[in-house]
Amino acid sequence: MKAEITMPVLSDTMQTGRLTRWNKAVGEVIKKGEAVAEVETDKAILDVEAFADGFLAGPLAAVDTDIPVRQVIGYIADTPEATKTDSGGAARVAATTAPPAPPSAAPGAVPEKKTAPPDTQQPTAPAAAATPPDTAPSEKPASPLPPHTPTAAAAALQPPHAGGLQASPYARALARDLELDLSQVKPGPDGIIHAAQVLASALAPEDADLRRGPPYTIERPSMLRAAVARNMSATLDTPTFLISSRFATAPLHAAAKQAGLSLTLALTRACALTVAEDPWFNQVWTRQGLAKRSRVDVGIAVDTGDGLITPVLRDAASRPLKELVEDWRILLGKVKKGRIYPEDYQGASFYLSNLGVFPEVERFNAIVPVGASAILAVAAAGSDGRADFTLSCDHRVIFGADAARFLQRLGKRLEDLSWLATGEGGL
Amino acid sequence: MSEMLYWQALNRAMDAEMAADETVLTLGEDVGLYGGTYRVTEGLMAKYGEWRVRDTPISENSFTGLGVGAAMLGLRPVVEIMTINFALFAMDAIVNMAAKIPFMSGGQFPMPLTIRMPGGVAKQLGAQHSQRLEHMLMNVPGLRIVVPATPQDAYWQLRQAIRSDDPILVLEHELLYFSKGDVDEATLAPPIHQAVARRRGRDITCIAYSRMLPLALQAAETLAAEGIELTVIDPRSLSPIDWDTCVRAVEQTHRCLIVEEDCRFAGAGAEFAATLQERCFYLLDAPIQRVAGMDIPTPFNGTLEAASIPRGEHIVQAARQMMAQQ
Repeated sequence: MKAEITMPVLSDTMQTGRLTRWNKAVGEVIKKGEAVAEVETDKAILDVEAFADGFLAGPLAAVDTDIPVRQVIGYIADTPEATKTDSGGAARVAATTAPPAPPSAAPGAVPEKKTAPPDTQQPTAPAAAATPPDTAPSEKPASPLPPHTPTAAAAALQPPHAGGLQASPYARALARDLELDLSQVKPGPDGIIHAAQVLASALAPEDADLRRGPPYTIERPSMLRAAVARNMSATLDTPTFLISSRFATAPLHAAAKQAGLSLTLALTRACALTVAEDPWFNQVWTRQGLAKRSRVDVGIAVDTGDGLITPVLRDAASRPLKELVEDWRILLGKVKKGRIYPEDYQGASFYLSNLGVFPEVERFNAIVPVGASAILAVAAAGSDGRADFTLSCDHRVIFGADAARFLQRLGKRLEDLSWLATGEGGL
Repeated sequence: MSEMLYWQALNRAMDAEMAADETVLTLGEDVGLYGGTYRVTEGLMAKYGEWRVRDTPISENSFTGLGVGAAMLGLRPVVEIMTINFALFAMDAIVNMAAKIPFMSGGQFPMPLTIRMPGGVAKQLGAQHSQRLEHMLMNVPGLRIVVPATPQDAYWQLRQAIRSDDPILVLEHELLYFSKGDVDEATLAPPIHQAVARRRGRDITCIAYSRMLPLALQAAETLAAEGIELTVIDPRSLSPIDWDTCVRAVEQTHRCLIVEEDCRFAGAGAEFAATLQERCFYLLDAPIQRVAGMDIPTPFNGTLEAASIPRGEHIVQAARQMMAQQ
């Protein structure tokens, strides 16, 4: 008997995952809870854990492909024999000779189609797959279709359209009306372009026309980079304003050092305490209304070398500093290993971006991520010992005077550092 | 307006037409003294006498043929065939006579014949008593077929069928006889072959008739809780089909799911799918899907019987799958 291993759903926004490696080969023993494969999601590389003891069995999904969530990527067999009867090798043969749209039929045109061999896409509906309307009618009475899977595989069995591009009739008609080139539209999770993708493409800003420029190649961005690009584009609807001040950072630096804290962590605490004093800074605009949060979670921009990630310190205003220090150590460790999970980096209510380590940066401003109302950008201290603090605010929630008072209170907090030494849940 | 059962609505319709027109008569097995297997002719013999409410021998071809003859000569007979399974005996009268005579006589003979028959999978009646057969009858030009799903439609469509000069089959469902609903006997009925939207939603047009309609409406509620909004069209008639109503709905949702209790192969769903893709092709965002009965004789075993025809969860599943693709 074989049980399915599926592409796990690792976050609310995850639609596909990129299978990066199999840790085991077909036939190898696996233990429940063991990592059998690795998947790259929006922001991290995560393990796919075995849910049962057994033996890895094929067909296995190919490495380095984007696979829709919940799709079968492999199997766990309860006996080694079961893995042999349907080995990965046999499956590969089946995959390339199967009549319905083998991935090799459209190698370049629709790379997203290259997910898994077709026989892994509908493993639960063999009866349906065995009787597409175009097979010999004599097969029909042998496998009556259950009512609930009548054409489960219909979409998957459609022959590819000329040019390897599959689009619904409505999607084609829309693209024609909108004068969109369908080959520029990214297909949906089933590899087919539907109206939703055409409309998304029509509403998305047009790609630059690079044909008149220097020669180029197209490289697929890492999932992390793609996620940042998506999240940043999503902020375009946020009406923001900037407000700046200059504060001396040396005293904070010194006090933090004395307390055994990094400057980032001390700044985080200062921000969290200041946010806690004015709940407007902890609210966010939603279509239903203002979401008032009861806790200050601060997201901190971290440079991973390959991109940007914002680990979140939960309840950064009221928990003991000691706990925050420990949390931060763990989070940075996860970032370093590329093993950071959505719950580690999503859902901050206020953000901090500190470029103080670059002395050349005199001032900069940051983009307010969706889900928060403000982000504070801290530059390097100048010759006068003062650093530029620029606050970007969502004007639907925060008004100029609120922001001015915020900076005022933050400034006082950076002068009077008593909160760091003793009070307010200090070390 | 009053609430009544499906069979009561049919009974009221019979009564109203028999009172209004003395050429209306009914005949069939046990329609008189016994009042009809599903009580549809209850009380009519006492009220209208045994000339107009006739018990017949067990001989479907003969008494259906009798109905054909009566209709040719100006009466308005309502033939009850105890179940649609027995209509197979009466195929000559239905197909060769009722459907053909007006055409072959150049319109000299009218055919104001109504044939009522219950059908569908009820509860463990076995393969020979669980058939639907609407797809067989849909293939006979010259017949009209209505499939009332509610007591109100049962009332309206039976009255309209009796008044029509064409042969009309009223396909009733055995499991609908005891369903309850409001019946307004005063309101003007919509045209007998007009389809209606029972529910409006933006995502999928679900076409479901007869007993599949309540299933589809229930599934639509479940799906609405998940954010998938169904338009549910009740075609009310399988011959002719009100294409305009179906097309308008599919044009708005761009997806179509057809639910039928009858076998999937060459069924009503196939006709819906074929014609809708002809008329809506450029507005379809996904292949038209069918949820249908299995292509097998209905099993007697209760579990297998239930598994051989669509259930609400199958509709929910099919709709989810259609939406998950995009």
